[in-house]
Amino acid sequence: MSHASRELTGDASEGSHAKSQSVVTVEHLVKRYGRLVAVNDVSFSIREGEIFGLIGPNGAGKTTTVECISGLRAPDSGSISVYGLSPQKDRNKMREFAGVQLQESALPPRIRVGEAVKLFASFYSDPQDPNELLESLGIKEVENSAFRKLSGGQKQRLSIALALVGNPKLAILDELTTGLDPEARHETWSLIERMRDRGVTVILVTHFMDEAERLCDRLALINHGTVRALDTPEAIAAKAGGSRVRFAPSQPVDEQTLRAIPGVNEIERKERYVTVTGTGDLAGALINALAAIGVRVSEVEARAGNLEDAFIKLTKDDASSVGKGVQA
Amino acid sequence: MTGYRLRWMSRRSRVQFAELLKVQGKLALREPYALFGGLALPAILLAVFGFIGQAQPGNVGSTGLTIIDLWTPTILVLSIIFISVSLPNTLVRDREIGWLRRISTTPLHPSRLLAAQLIIDLILAAAAVLIVILEGALVFGASLHVQILPFAVSLLLSIVELFALGLVLVALVPTQTVAQPVAGVVTFGLMFLSGLWVNPAQVDDPLRTIMYYSPSGAAVRAVLDSAFNGGPSYAGLLTMAVYAVIFGFIAVRYFRWE
Repeated sequence: MSHASRELTGDASEGSHAKSQSVVTVEHLVKRYGRLVAVNDVSFSIREGEIFGLIGPNGAGKTTTVECISGLRAPDSGSISVYGLSPQKDRNKMREFAGVQLQESALPPRIRVGEAVKLFASFYSDPQDPNELLESLGIKEVENSAFRKLSGGQKQRLSIALALVGNPKLAILDELTTGLDPEARHETWSLIERMRDRGVTVILVTHFMDEAERLCDRLALINHGTVRALDTPEAIAAKAGGSRVRFAPSQPVDEQTLRAIPGVNEIERKERYVTVTGTGDLAGALINALAAIGVRVSEVEARAGNLEDAFIKLTKDDASSVGKGVQA
Repeated sequence: MTGYRLRWMSRRSRVQFAELLKVQGKLALREPYALFGGLALPAILLAVFGFIGQAQPGNVGSTGLTIIDLWTPTILVLSIIFISVSLPNTLVRDREIGWLRRISTTPLHPSRLLAAQLIIDLILAAAAVLIVILEGALVFGASLHVQILPFAVSLLLSIVELFALGLVLVALVPTQTVAQPVAGVVTFGLMFLSGLWVNPAQVDDPLRTIMYYSPSGAAVRAVLDSAFNGGPSYAGLLTMAVYAVIFGFIAVRYFRWE
């Protein structure tokens, strides 16, 4: 297929395939700060209308990655495409449709909420109505308050308002809920879900696993500047987190017997309890195998693996393979 | 060739810039520093010298000028100095807190923010000049017989030169905490060189030459000469122009948005 005809079919199918189309692609992204390699060969793509999470410990390279996507930093190598544009070369066009919420970015202390949102609205060609936006974010009543008088939650909501007022197709949100109390966090989460309902593609940087699990359609787990896992939160949790079963056997069971049971990976003992982690239908396999040798089990507690387990496992694997000391 | 007609800004850019000017103007009015330093302090200083002048009427030495005549140019330049050194207060802060960076993710180029801030400060400087001239003339009877063109040129060059110096501070000073003391030291240096405490006419060389050819001393001398001595010397105007170019170059060369 020639280049020209591929372009044509691409244009023609744009509407019908909108949901599954990749709107952001990152390929072999590398970014160094001096000798420190912050991002080392990161690749992923983001589909239109999804909430895509970037998770990982502090200093993993998440923020650097989104800064490259938003055009604030130039990659050392690799390529990035955002709605077919290059964040470096087409920065001006991109700024029109990409709303960015930066980590640790404040407003002048004496600017008022309403002023800031109106000011930002004036920057864009097709902005949202500032009043409606303030209303929907629940900060209409502090419209005339100065930025420095706002609570942490109100500041975050204002920051979201500034990222959304230009009616973006793509919202890049970095550490949105850090420093918020639980109530404000949950409110912020529903806000992001409403954004997705309106068809906005969201890139969410976070180090909170519960946030990623609740919000993200897919996510990339980044550690030491590389992608360690890329999938739905459930799939990552199931693959890497595994499930965990704790029980009290009616009589002591030796390690060898337990290891022989399919799916068992790790065994821990504490007092009369045995905790086994592994994959598959762990509880069923355990109970059947032990019953076959005449051991009854009681007080069974089973838990499916979650993202947090996967996160700890994947980052711990890295730490032991790299040696000690995770670059903060 | 399509864009033959020279257009400085598109209609949308003008709307953006008008909104930006409005907000920056409001913020400037809420920040006490430039307002107090640029407007209130010169008015108070002029009043102090005005009362001294009333207590000691007549001409100072053989100058043929009264105290208020002599000090008005110095105070005009001082008000410009105060406004210039307030530039790092706002711009270094805006950079440090990530506001300039935040702006750079929107369709508005952050240079527009800088331009808006400079325009606001220019308006402040114009207001300060008006206040000092009117206060001097109406309240204390300072002479108003100046040659408008040289006077305006001298003031304008003073503003350009001293604002450029303010932008050098913005470019070189890394944080707000550093900006305060640095701006303080620079202010006092400029105040001394302007002749606020020691009149350059009354000191010996080399200090006199240093004062005459310092950024603030040259400004005061040019304004004074254009008011009373038949016009500023070309050397004085050239001195200010050279400073403006040097400071402008340093500011542009080392300016950082983040």
